[in-house]
Parts: sequence; C-alpha cells; structure tokens
Amino acid sequence: MWECHGAPRGDGRRGSPGRGAGEGRGGGEAGRPSPRGVGAGLGGIPAGSLKSPLSHPRPPPPTGVVPFVALLLLQRRPVAGRALLVNGPGCPGNSLCRANVHEQTRKQVALLNATAQDLFSLYLKCQGEPFSSESEKLCNPGGIFFPAFHVNRTSEKKEVMVAMYKLFAFLNASLGNITRDQEELNPTAKELLDRLHNTTKTTRGLISNLTCLLCKNYNVFQVDVSYGESSKGKSTFKKKQQGCQVLRKYVQVIAQAARILLPHLSPA
Amino acid sequence: MRKNPSLRCLLALAILCLTSLVHSQEIGSPGDPQNLKCVTHNLRRMVCTWDVSSRRRHGQTDFCYTTNDHPLTECFKTKEKRVEIPVPESSTTIKITTNSISGTPFATREFEIRKKDISFIPLAPHILSLTPDFPTSTLTLKWSDNGSIFPYGLDAFWQIEILRKETMEKVTEVTYYSKLTHEDIILSWNWTSDMPLECTSHYVKIRCFINITQFVGHKDWSDWSPVEVSPGKDTEPHGSGVFPQDTVVAVGSDVTICCVHEEGQQIKRMTYGPEVYPLIRLSSRSSAIRVLNASASDTSGTNVVCSLSEDGMDGTVLFVGYAPDIPQNLSCETSNFELIKCTWKPGRPSGLYGKRGTKYSLFERISGKNVSCEVNEMNKERVCGFPVLGDQKTYNFLLGVSNPIGQTEASLLVDISQRVHPKTPEKLTVSGNSSTSVHLRWFINGSFAEIRLLCQIEISNGHSEQKLHNVSMPGGKSSTYTAQLNTLHPYTKYWFRVRCSAADHFWRWSDWSRIEEHTTLEAPPARGPDIWRERSPSGKSLKIFWKPLSLSEANGKIVSHEVSCYLLEKPLEYKEVTEPSNSTEIKLGRNDCVVSVVAKNHAGSSPPSRITTVELPSDNVKTDRAVAMGNGIYISWNSYPNMTCGYIVKWCHSSGSEPCSVDWQKFPSNTTDAVIKSALFRPGVRYNFSLYGCKSSGYQLLKNITGYTKELPPKRAPNFTVEETSSDSILVKWEDMPIEDCQGFLEGYRLSFAKGEKDALKPRLLESGNPELKVKNITDLTKKSLKILDLQGKTSYQLDLQAYTAGGLSPPNSLYVVTKEDSVGLIIAILIPVAVVVLLGVVASIFCYRKREWIKETFYPEIPNPENSKALQFQKNICEGNKTLKTLEMNPCTPNSVEVVETRSAAPKIEDTEMMSPAADTVVPEDGSDSETENHVVVSYCPPIIEEEISNPPMDESVGSSQVVYIDIQSMYQPQIKPEEESEIDLVTTAGYKPQMQLPISALKIESRSPAEEESDKTAGYRPQANTNAWNMDTPDSPGSVESNNENASFGSPCSINSRQFLLPPKDDEDSPKPSNIGWSFTHFFQNKPND
Repeated sequence: MWECHGAPRGDGRRGSPGRGAGEGRGGGEAGRPSPRGVGAGLGGIPAGSLKSPLSHPRPPPPTGVVPFVALLLLQRRPVAGRALLVNGPGCPGNSLCRANVHEQTRKQVALLNATAQDLFSLYLKCQGEPFSSESEKLCNPGGIFFPAFHVNRTSEKKEVMVAMYKLFAFLNASLGNITRDQEELNPTAKELLDRLHNTTKTTRGLISNLTCLLCKNYNVFQVDVSYGESSKGKSTFKKKQQGCQVLRKYVQVIAQAARILLPHLSPA
Repeated sequence: MRKNPSLRCLLALAILCLTSLVHSQEIGSPGDPQNLKCVTHNLRRMVCTWDVSSRRRHGQTDFCYTTNDHPLTECFKTKEKRVEIPVPESSTTIKITTNSISGTPFATREFEIRKKDISFIPLAPHILSLTPDFPTSTLTLKWSDNGSIFPYGLDAFWQIEILRKETMEKVTEVTYYSKLTHEDIILSWNWTSDMPLECTSHYVKIRCFINITQFVGHKDWSDWSPVEVSPGKDTEPHGSGVFPQDTVVAVGSDVTICCVHEEGQQIKRMTYGPEVYPLIRLSSRSSAIRVLNASASDTSGTNVVCSLSEDGMDGTVLFVGYAPDIPQNLSCETSNFELIKCTWKPGRPSGLYGKRGTKYSLFERISGKNVSCEVNEMNKERVCGFPVLGDQKTYNFLLGVSNPIGQTEASLLVDISQRVHPKTPEKLTVSGNSSTSVHLRWFINGSFAEIRLLCQIEISNGHSEQKLHNVSMPGGKSSTYTAQLNTLHPYTKYWFRVRCSAADHFWRWSDWSRIEEHTTLEAPPARGPDIWRERSPSGKSLKIFWKPLSLSEANGKIVSHEVSCYLLEKPLEYKEVTEPSNSTEIKLGRNDCVVSVVAKNHAGSSPPSRITTVELPSDNVKTDRAVAMGNGIYISWNSYPNMTCGYIVKWCHSSGSEPCSVDWQKFPSNTTDAVIKSALFRPGVRYNFSLYGCKSSGYQLLKNITGYTKELPPKRAPNFTVEETSSDSILVKWEDMPIEDCQGFLEGYRLSFAKGEKDALKPRLLESGNPELKVKNITDLTKKSLKILDLQGKTSYQLDLQAYTAGGLSPPNSLYVVTKEDSVGLIIAILIPVAVVVLLGVVASIFCYRKREWIKETFYPEIPNPENSKALQFQKNICEGNKTLKTLEMNPCTPNSVEVVETRSAAPKIEDTEMMSPAADTVVPEDGSDSETENHVVVSYCPPIIEEEISNPPMDESVGSSQVVYIDIQSMYQPQIKPEEESEIDLVTTAGYKPQMQLPISALKIESRSPAEEESDKTAGYRPQANTNAWNMDTPDSPGSVESNNENASFGSPCSINSRQFLLPPKDDEDSPKPSNIGWSFTHFFQNKPND
C-alpha cells in the first residue's frame, strides 16, 4: 500500500492546497501563538481566535485551551486565504472576501476530506508496529482534547462557521505539532512529510476563508479557540500516539464537517 | 636430663609460656574479667572489651594499663566492660579489677596486650549519596574514604553490593580500589544497570578493607554501611510507564524493558515491535521483558507497547542503531583560500536520525580550533567548512564523529596550497580584431595571490579536433585573468572555454566556464586557385576552369575571380567572375596566351595562378582501359622525360542533361600512375580521362583512358530480331547497345534457346532448368547475328539474348519463334499408313472371298429347332418350384434393363433367363444357387413403352421386373472373378446393353480398354446367331441353342424369350417411346453394331 520512506508518490492528489492556502509552515506549538504563524498570515493560527460581538462569555476552556484575542485577517488581494493580519477592533469594510470564497472553501474542505484517510494510513505506517495493527486501541482519541463539533445540517450557518473555525484552528496547530515531530522522528519519510505540509497549508487557507466569511457575513472577528496539549517534551511514543489520535479524530470529524459545511457553502 | 643443657632450656621456656598463659587467660574464678579483646579502627586508639565470668552483680571496674613505652600506669574506673585506650607501640599491660557493688574488689586480672593481639577493622563507610540517572540507568554512589585518620598511602578496597527488587536480590558485587591520602576524599562510583532504574528499587551498600602492611595484628573488612536505596517507579503511588524512554542502544545489545503500572492493573502482554515477549515479574506493579540481540530499528524506532487491563496501553520507543562508521575518503581543499571545504563519506549508516543522528566536528590540531559541522543526513557525501587561518598553510584536521552509541574519528594532514580547486571561471569574454589572434578575459572568485594559476583554454572550430592551450599566470585576489591566443585561422568560427587549477601543485581542475564564440577576421586567400583550360572545338575561344579554394585556403568568403590573359606581359583579356561560377570563357581567336586567375575575398587577392593556352600536337593518341581500384580508378602511364612540369589528368563528370563539368588533377613529373578519386564517381558510369603532359612550351595530350569505378551488369539486353526461319534453323540479328546501358566494358552476348511456347505463366527460359536448353556464347563483339541450326521443324522455340560485362549478365530479351514445317516428311507420314491400310483391305477381301464357305459355317450356322434346344430345358430348372413357365407365354413385358448372369461355376450349368426386378436382384435365390458364383451384368435398357403392358403390370414377379437376365454361357467356363471385381463389372455393364458376343474376359478388363473399344461396346448390340436369312422377322422370340460343351457354339441366343420385341431397337429409335419393331431383325442388328 503506502511506502513510508523514500521518494514521494506522484499520485496527483498532493500538491497545491489551492488558492487560499497561506504560505509557510503551519502550527507551531499548540497552545501558544506562533510568531511565525502571525507573520505568515493565518499560518499557524494556533494564535487565531476571532471575536464576535454577539458571542456570550464562555466558561474556561479545558486543559490546553488558551483564549486568544482576535487576529483578524484580511485579504490584501481578493484571493481567499491570502490574508493579512488586521490590528483593528472589528471587521474591515468592503473587499474582505473574494467572490468565489464559498466555492473555494467548499473545495478546501472536500480536499481535506478526500486526503484525510490516506494521510492517517500513511502516518500509521510510518510509526511502525503495532500502530497499524492496533490503531483502534493505540489511537483511540478518547483521552485527548478535540474541539467539540456538535453541529448538524439544521444548525445555523453562523454556528457551523464558528465550529468550523475552532475545528480547523485546532487542526492547524495540531498538524504543525505532528509535522514538527515527524520531521525529527521520520526525516526520510518524504511522502508523509509532504502530505502533512500540504494538509497544513490547506488548513491554513481554509482558516483564512472562514475568517473572511465569519467577518463578512456575521461580523465575527473573535472566536475563542482551544488547543490540545502540546507534544513538546513528551516521549517519542507519546508523540506518535498523540499524532495518531489527532489524525484519527481528524478523519472522523472532517467527514462530518464536509457533510455539514458543504450544503452551507453550496451556491444558492 | 642433667647432662643435656638444651633440654633444660626447652623446659624452662615451656614453664615460662605456661606462666604467661595463666596471666592472660581466664583463671576461672568467679568475677574474673576474661576474653579481653582489643580492636582499633584508626590505628591510634583501640577499643578493648572483656567479659566477666560470674553473674554476680558487680560495681565499677578499675582499669589500669601500662605501656612499655610509657612507664606510668594509667588507671580509671568504668562501669562498662569497654574502654578505649591508645594503641601501644609494642605491648600494653592491662590490669582489670572487678569490684563489688560496695566497692570491694573481688577479682583482679592482669592482661598483656601485644600489638599482634590487636585487630584492625575500619569503621563502616558512610554513603554520602546514591543518585540514579534514569535516562542512562546509571547509579552514582558517593562516600568518604576517611583517609585523614590513616597514614598516607594506604590501599583501600571498597566492596559495593547492588541489590534489586523488594526481595533485595543481589545483582552484583564489585570491589573498588583507592589509595588513602591522609585526607578525607569523597569517592564516587558509577554503575550502569542492565535494567532501567525506574523498573524497580535498587539498593546499595558498601564496606571497606584497608590494607596496612605495617600493622601486624589481624585486619578485617569493615561492617557494611547502611543500605541506600534508589526507589523504582513502582514504589511511587501513581508511578507508571514503560521504561526506558527513548533509549538508543547498539545493534546486538540485550535490552530490558519494563512496564510499571498502577495498583490494581494487570499487564496483559508486552510487545517489542510486532512480537510478544514473555514477562519477567519484578514487583506487584512492575514486569519486564528481555530483548536479546536487538536488531536495527526503523527510522522512527521500535515501539514497545505494554497492554494493560481495561484496554490501557502504554509504550516507549527504542532506537537500535550502529555506532558511527569511520569516515571514508576524507579530503579537504579550498576554492578561494578563504574556506577549506572538507568532504567525506559517512560509511555504514547508523540507522539513527534526528537528534540521535551522527554529529560531526572538525578539529584542527595545530591551531586548536574546532568547528561543528552541519551536515545533511540525506546526502551521501558530507561537507564541512573550516576557515582558512592567517598564514597557516598546513592543517592537521581531526574529524570527530559521534552518536549516542559511540564515536570515532578520522584525521588528515594537508597543505592547503597544494589542495587548490578553483571555482568555475566566470564572465568569459573573447575579443579581437585580427584574423589570427583573439584576447580572452575571465574572472575567478577567490584569493590566489600566493600561488600561480594554470588555466587551460579549449579551442574548437567545428572542423578540426579540439585543441587545448595552457597558460600560466600569477594568481590574484578575485581577479580578472587574460590570455592571448595566436595562430588562429582567419575567418573561422571558434568556441572557447576555460578552466583553471593551481600551477605548481596541481590538484583539480575547476569546472569549465561557459562556452564563448568568436569568429576571426578575414585574410587574403593563401594561394591561387587550381586552374585548367580547354579550347572550344572551333578553337576560337578558351574556357578556363578553376577549383574553389578550401576554407583554410580561402581565408574568407571568396567573392570573385579575376581572369586575365597575357601575351608577352601584354594583357589581352580581363574578366572578373563573381561567385559561384568556377569557369569562364574568353575569346582568343587562334592566339595563345598565358591565363592568370586570382581569387579575391574582402581582405584581398590571392597570388595568381597561371597556365598557358598552348596545346602541343599529339600523334597516335591511344585509348586505354583503366582499372577500378577501391572507390577510384587506377590509371598509369609511361614516363615521359620531356614533360618537365608534370602531368594533368582531366576528366568530365556528366549528370543527366547538363553539360559535363570538367575536373582535373595535377601530378608531378616523376609520377607514372595515380588513383583518381572523386565523390562524384558513380558505379556503372564510364569515365574518360585524358592525360596531358606539361612542358614549358605547353600541354600535350598523351593518351586517353576510359574506365569505371565499378562495372555493373548491363541495364538491358540488346534488341534482337529473327531475320530468317527454316524448318531446322533460325537466324537472329541484334543491335549495338548504347554505352550508358552497358555500365561496364561489354564482354559478349549469350543466346539461350529451347523449345517453348509463349506462355506468361511459364517460368523464364533461364530459370526453368530446361534440360534441352542450349546456350551460345558470343564473345566477338563485332558479330551482330547468329544462325541457330539443328532445330526441329514446325516447333516453337524460345530465344533469350543477354549482354554481359565484368559486372554480370543483363536481363534477357526474349523471342518466340516457330520453325517452318518439313513438307516431305509430312507427305511420307500420310502416304505410308494409307498404303498399308489399302493393302490390308485387299488382302482381307481376297481372304474372305476364298474362305466364304468356312465363314458361313462358322459364323452363320443353321438355327436348330427351338423345341429341341437345351436352352428350354434349363428354364425348367430355374422356374421349378412354385413358378410356372410363364416366360414361354409371350406375355407382354416392359423390361427396362437387361441383366446378364455369368455363371462362373466350373461345372457346366444352364440357367434360364427371366425378367427380374431390381428388388429381386438383391434377394437370395430360392433355389439355393450360390449367388457368389454368379456375375450379374446389368445393361441399362430403355424399352419401348407398350400400352398393353402398362395396363397389366403385375402379371408376375419376374415379369414385373425391369431387367432381362441373360446367361452368358461362355462365361461358365471362365475363371471365377473376385467379388470386388464383380461390382466394378456390374457398374460398367449397367451402362448399356451387353452384347452376347462379348467375351467375359473382355468384360473383366473393360476398364483397361481403349476409348475406341469402349465406344464400340456402347454401340454393341445383339449379334445374329445364324444366317439372317433363316430368321423370321415376325417371330418375336429368338430361339437359340446352347451347346454347353462346345466353345464354338457358346454364343448364346437372347434369352428374353418372354419378350416380343427386339431388345435393342434401331439407333434412330433408341429414345422413342414407341416400339418400331416387334421382333428381331438382322438388319437392325447390323445397324446397331456395324463394326461388329
């Protein structure tokens, strides 16, 4: 099936995350704002949290949850995902989103959904046994933090968008952690690293588009985002396991997100 | 005894010893102090202890001691049975008095303690610290040696014991040696456990032995120190995990990995990679597995997973790899005298990556400078840079290599001035305004002021081979370097590129620079063109030819040729002919002159080429044949001594309709042969060469030569016609062939002929392998006709004519000729048979006339009375039984076939004939006659239809038959034929009526007969048995007699006696449905079988 080490496969599914993906490496350490991410637009949005004047105060987040105040990202050009950090108190006026931002967001979610299972399978392969054979137990995501995603097709669009933002902000940070760990642990696994990089880029672009949509449609420019526990300082086994747990949950949630988000993003 | 003084001395010594013993030992009286023991821990003071034998209560004890080096007695009271006193130099006398409670002494005892009676036992060491290092599973033990209380330089031995688990199982015991320095030194000892320290508690205790040689008393180990413990994770309330964490071990190591869990959990299994290992119980909360000879792990390490109850899982990763290999091919060089670049190959991969990967550092021993190398693990070759240091030229590098498993190194001593590998020359430019020289400039980044550079310039021009030009120059600091190249060809495009190296100590060339292109300027042509001239046939004009100069001679682009004609230095004619023409014509009339031709390009004119127009007369110019040689033509000539300025061979190339182009080649006067080669020469084309000799006065034609580079078969055969034909000969004539069709020197013709008719499907004559093929070879080329003799008259012949050269035969030209008829022979052939026939007819007539009576008797005897005929008798045999003799009733019947039954029985047998149906033919005869002995000859017969018979069809079985059965009586005497032959005969005989006169033997051989005979059989009919005059035409019956024993009478009469008709109607009426006759008729017989 997958070859963990060696040259990447040219299966055509890798590559550009599509317009809207930001540049640079995503993530950084979860739970802390990544200066790199800040500098690179939405990249590494562990920092990212958008603020909504309509949102109600929330109870303190669970472990690893760090509220982060508003990094509103604008798009210098109307290319979705090419966003700029805005140091303002609210959403900017016009020219926030490009006309095809819905379509682009839909494609980004579809792309993530299409590539998630392969990424997870390749990740398992690269961690060695018994990760592949006992992934049910080893990668059981029960013990880790993952943003709640309790929306469905009947949920309000704004609610869906906010949940999506939280989800992909968390994923972006987690993917950054996983990528960093795998670069250290599996430097020869080019295929895995490429897929992680591309997924992170796509996630970053998706966050940009969600930022734009939230701001434009609902005037939401601050969302409290929770991040999981950083893997830094953990043992190698724990790093492997945590990445495995996150990716497994990611596979499950991205499918749900695709089902829910796509109707909302379909052309009216 | 008195007489032996030595014995007395021994006795006295024994008494003395006994006395001493009494003093030092328990006397045994109640309350006596006894068992006095003195032990020293520090060699200065000693602790003396004793026992009191009685259980009686006693009070204080008076203790006095006197040392021999200190005459004063020291006394003191003590309530204990232990005192500490100084260690004597030699001995101490101790007096112990036991007092009662009231203070009354009741026992006194004196002891003498000598030095050898004192024991030396150091105090138990005190462990200062026991520190576990969990990542390395190392315990560090620290204690003080208390050396200050001992003299300097004593040997101290420390016995350390490691214990493990709750049960304190002894793991190991080691002895550590140290030397006491009269100071209190803290000693440290490390021990690496084969089991992670987290797995279970480890315990350590220590004791010592000080080896003081001067001490004569008993020496012993100290007591064990108190046990120090390094608690395992299993002792912590919530301690859990799999240990060791992220450990790196060498391939082949034995590794213990443990799983510590919380109280109440159970370990279900532990896996190392994909394999499950047996558990080793360490404690109630800890178990381990032991992996022996671990193999190299994957890049991400080998996972060790501990599966706990309630689906709990924990794990660790073990990295198993190799120690770094010794770096190979370590090499250092500089490209700019600013940085030394060292490269090496890492050798065997360690299998460890990331932070566990191999680290490199470059240490320079002379300067003591060390740099850390950032290397890319994915590259096969590693590179590390080291800065060039001031004036240092020699560098002694030590490349240190390390990873968590081990380390190694490689060293290299290098003079950097001898390891110069310049960078690629840049900015190469080529300039020049000369036709033979250029100026090159290039730049090299780097400081080469200390050395000279050797640069190599590659010059290529697309025509000749690449040339290398080396130039040495002093180096500079990031300088531009120049070079001048001379002796180039004018008007030539050159490509240049440069590379450099150190001149004095060559190490490596740099990479080539990019290629730069330059074309040199033009120069005047190097020489005049090669020229020739030819007078026109009229002699009034002269055509001058010249050959184009080669590129190396033209030195530029030739734009024109100046042609002039001088007569005694006086110009007669001048022409400038522009390119690309290579000839011109000047009108001279009958004059002669010297023609001069000059080639011109943009740079100037060539030296003139001159030729005189004078043509000297020639006599007896012969034409020779040249010999092909290789791809050229070899010609030779005699030496002509008066030809002082050489020879010219001239020839002409013609291509198609264009006029031929003149070409020539000049040879020196000492030449007598040459191979003329030209790219224009083609095989099969005749070339005519003219050899001219050159004299000072002019040129003289010496001879003509004709030849081919390769002879080919003629393109076609000559056309030929038949001039004359007779009954036995043919005269053919053919035409000459054009030279261009010959493709070689014609050597002859080949005429092939054989009998044959024109048929496109037949193979060609030469290919048919006809044995009658005759071939005539004509080698006399002047002969243009040939008469072929000895042919057959009125016969068709095929004639093939081919021409041939040394290259082979041409395709044939064919003709078909029919010879005339031989009339005399024909006449003879007709007349002789006619004459013979006539003669035979005459002889036969004469014979018949003379023997007419005999013929009558023989062939036409009198017909006997049918009533007396035996033929009627055998009818009874046939028809006996339930059959009546209806055959004699002359009932009308409609037979449609006649079956002749030929009985082959040896015995004479007469059978009646009857009408049989085809169905009856297949039935076994009722009379039991052997059917196999019969030969049924069925003759197809189409009877006339009689209405009377149609109205009464079923009269009788035999009557209803459509066949007439004959009995061939003669056949009774014939040999029996085989059944298979029977069937054949049946088939044949059913074809028609079977004449009675036909012999059976003829019937057997019917198939082998000639068609004429078959024809006669078809027309065979009934044969008269007697004189026709005796026959009654009105009688339908044909009576006949059969003489069974008379062969001459064996011709049977027709047995269709129940028929009222002739069996064979007249030929005219064969197909007529109406009967034309109702009885036998001799005339009819003869009409049917006239030949018979």
